[in-house]
Amino acid sequence: MDTTLTDNMSPARAIAITGSGGSGAVTAGQIMLSAVAKAGFYGLMTRSAGPQIRGGESAAMLRYGAQPVACMGDVFDILVGLDWKNIDRFIDEIPLDANSLILTDPETGPAPESLQPSGAKILEIPFKEYAGPVEGGRINMAAIGAAGAIAGLPLDALEAAVDDVLGDKGEPVVSSSRACIRAAWADTRAMTTMTLPAPAARDRWNISGNEASGLGAMRGGVRLVAAYPITPASEMLEWLAPRLKQAGGALLQAEDELASVNMIIGASFGGVPSLTATSGPGLSLMAEGLGLAVASETPVVVANVMRGGPSTGIPTKSEQSDLNLALYGFHGDAPHLVLAALDIRDCAFTTQWAVRLAEHLQTVAIVLTDQSLGQSRAVVDPPASFDGDYARITTGTPGDAYQRYAITADGVSPMAIPGTPDGMYTGDGLEHTPAGIPSSLNRDHAQQSEKRLRKLQDFDYGEHWAVQRGHGPACLLTWGSASGAVFEAAERLTAAGRPTRVVALRLLAPLRVDALREALAGAESVLVVEQNQSGQCFHYLRSHDVLPPHARFFGHAGPLALRPGEIIAELDEVN
Amino acid sequence: MNDNAKIIETVPEFLAHAVALEDESAERYEMLADAMEVHHNDEVAELFRKLMQYSEDHAQEVQTLASDMTLPNIAPWDYNWNCPGSPENCDCFNDALDYQMTPYQALNLAIHNETRGRDFYAWVSRESPDPEVRRLAGEMASEEQEHVDLLQAMIANTDLSREAPLEDLDPPNTPDG
Amino acid sequence: MPTAIATEAAPAPRAKDYKSGIKPVWCPGCGHFGALSAVTKALAYLQLRREEVAMISGIGCSSRLPAYIDSYGFHGVHGRALAVASGLKAARPDLTVLVAGGDGDGFSIGGNHFLHACRRNMDMTYIVMDNEVYGMTKGQASPTTAPEWDRSKLTPYGTGVPSFRPTEIALAAGASFIARGFSGDPSGLTKLLVEAIEHRGFSFVHVLSPCPTFRPEQKEWKQKVHPCRMDTTSNAAEAARLIQGDDGRATGLLYVEDLPVWQPRNEGQADMAKIEAEFRV
Repeated sequence: MDTTLTDNMSPARAIAITGSGGSGAVTAGQIMLSAVAKAGFYGLMTRSAGPQIRGGESAAMLRYGAQPVACMGDVFDILVGLDWKNIDRFIDEIPLDANSLILTDPETGPAPESLQPSGAKILEIPFKEYAGPVEGGRINMAAIGAAGAIAGLPLDALEAAVDDVLGDKGEPVVSSSRACIRAAWADTRAMTTMTLPAPAARDRWNISGNEASGLGAMRGGVRLVAAYPITPASEMLEWLAPRLKQAGGALLQAEDELASVNMIIGASFGGVPSLTATSGPGLSLMAEGLGLAVASETPVVVANVMRGGPSTGIPTKSEQSDLNLALYGFHGDAPHLVLAALDIRDCAFTTQWAVRLAEHLQTVAIVLTDQSLGQSRAVVDPPASFDGDYARITTGTPGDAYQRYAITADGVSPMAIPGTPDGMYTGDGLEHTPAGIPSSLNRDHAQQSEKRLRKLQDFDYGEHWAVQRGHGPACLLTWGSASGAVFEAAERLTAAGRPTRVVALRLLAPLRVDALREALAGAESVLVVEQNQSGQCFHYLRSHDVLPPHARFFGHAGPLALRPGEIIAELDEVN
Repeated sequence: MNDNAKIIETVPEFLAHAVALEDESAERYEMLADAMEVHHNDEVAELFRKLMQYSEDHAQEVQTLASDMTLPNIAPWDYNWNCPGSPENCDCFNDALDYQMTPYQALNLAIHNETRGRDFYAWVSRESPDPEVRRLAGEMASEEQEHVDLLQAMIANTDLSREAPLEDLDPPNTPDG
Repeated sequence: MPTAIATEAAPAPRAKDYKSGIKPVWCPGCGHFGALSAVTKALAYLQLRREEVAMISGIGCSSRLPAYIDSYGFHGVHGRALAVASGLKAARPDLTVLVAGGDGDGFSIGGNHFLHACRRNMDMTYIVMDNEVYGMTKGQASPTTAPEWDRSKLTPYGTGVPSFRPTEIALAAGASFIARGFSGDPSGLTKLLVEAIEHRGFSFVHVLSPCPTFRPEQKEWKQKVHPCRMDTTSNAAEAARLIQGDDGRATGLLYVEDLPVWQPRNEGQADMAKIEAEFRV
């Protein structure tokens, strides 16, 4: 049987592993990601699962290559079935075609019929036979060996990966796993002659989006976090808790999100950069508190890891549908910052930048990421650090008659930190005079709201407001995790002789209207691509009059990710 | 009457009480004056400010008397008043306290306080074992009596035909929430 | 521990030095004047540096207090003062943190935070000025209003719901210092506040503070309030009996005990190189 995998147009390979009831599909995915890293490649791993807390059906999806990988592509090259229980849950998330290969152990029964329409070829591999003779041998390890062999991954990388992922489970587990891998790898290696691109061999990190966000926060100076656990943000908090403590800070587990947002206001009022992490339902609860931070000009950052909405929605799936809430969710005129990370690596940079901006401009920064970034792991270039010198402007020792909300040229008023003599003031959510005395007068509201708007509008945010790539009459405009598929679609189109430019927004509010108009200048078509039902960013941009009349929205709500192929198909349909 | 009050035995202790009494009185009148000013009852605000000034002056006099002594540092709750709380500390729950109160009502409130102050000094001037304390207390009691007389005179001059003001027909506001 | 201030050069601040000079907007006769007076006297007695004191409040008449004190202050949104204060104390254990609010702010919308603040037992003092009504919004029933009070247009037949019992709930939730004061006895209240601030842990001071505008009948509290008939106890079971048998008008320190205080230690420096090395492939 010819099982040679042909190289797709895409230089990356994608492998999916499914199984249930403790078969260890996710662990297999993690090991393969680690192996990919050790073999010198970049990679991206996402997961999917049923509703059971343990033992349910689950799938790990992995894509890797010689260049950084930011989306799952259009099709999986290999699907490994540790068993086939309830695989239908994942059918839509693991698209296959006639070039795909399905690895299955005949002992677990035939591959389901639902996979047949794809035309993928079945390759029977006796995982159980490889695992059987090994003491403590596991089927998923045999599967790793087989899949790794077919994908052309070197054995030593696979073995080293076991140590990396399972090292703390003890030597017996590590050696039995390696033995299974070796056994399956040796046999399967002979079955295929797949070529691999030359590896990158650059410094790389293995990191998840939530970890990257946490890192960005700490790089930005955050030392106090107060939060309430919520899927899919909790891992960010888990990563931060011990590291904040070691850094002289703390993580408070709050009783609810109302407490979280107010706690970080208190800590920030006390002079410590503070952050909370949540998802859509929590952000909704925080709206009032964030308005207080805006009105009292207290710097705070909210890392909102978006998930399927509305309401409880689909906690374990990704979506980009909280933009409206982030932009418009506060009552009153409450200008604030909204940023969104473009990919897993960018979670670090964007979060750090957001912390510095919030501190410097004394405002709220909402950083949008999502489940597909937060809970996925990737092998990436080390995340860039934001180097700007954006300090919180404090007072030193204020003279007489210190005015907390004094009107200044740039709209930012020096902030007295408690403990500073002669700096006493009362921060307030009530509208106030420059001295901070509550006021209902027109003059004060006009002055203070103008100041709060101007300090953000007039600030020079530099070049980081967006990432732009490529040139061409066709323009794809996007934000957040959709960027991965958009960049890949643009690359494919450009390579096929249809030059396409991409504008991926990082700073959503305040909108850099002039810069965006310039970026779109001369575009004959503009497609705004995002993962939500109604085109939230599209309508936001429309309302600012930056889009040409012919601009359109393409996208859909979660749980399925946007894929390069469907973006290209949309453009094909129009043209 | 506070039956548990220990009688004051030394001059420094007595003067410390006198200072506290006048300070508290001044503070209370100032709070009332401010409250009346904020509520635009200027006539009564002015009256309370005047009373505040009397108390401050009297406190100053006592400080001068005590300038060559070290007064004991008595915690606010350890004073030996002969009544609950500091004597001239106008109780907040006087029925007449209202933003519309008349000078007549304010004067009556003040008389009530000054009388209690006088009674405190009188009690000390009777009961203290120390003659100097008794003498000083007696002087202060007389001074308080002068205040009372002054206030009575002021009442006599007040236009008593001005009855209680008409009911404020405006509904209350909700400034903060 | 807060640092005391009197020096040769600067005489010790007196109570009036802790007033900001802003004239309160409370109605004449408002009980909160007595509470304000007591707070300034307590701060003066303890000789705390004004810049090391932070008073946090929510929304309501009593929440106006921070503006009238010359210290750092934060006037937040309704019901969340304890959360703001907890975040502040976690970040700045060096500050003396006081929290002020009313019965609505603290026991209705703020109820959840009240429970957890008692439970965490962070070192701060919570002063609730209870007038059994929502004064700021024109006189609705509050959680501590008696069920039969029928003078609110929102509950013209009375709430029909038994009153919230703050001291009982504070005890059950784990507060380590529970006292009740009366704004008509500022000296007594001063003493309680001093003890509350000095106590290491969450000090709950329940202050009966009448509202002359919407609850004029509360003038009679002067007659109803009485010193607690039992000594302060540090036995929670005894305190429970004492507090449950209480008529809600007994003043004094009801319960105090040394319980574990929750406070992050804030020592150490971030070793970013070590943190980043964990990710290296």
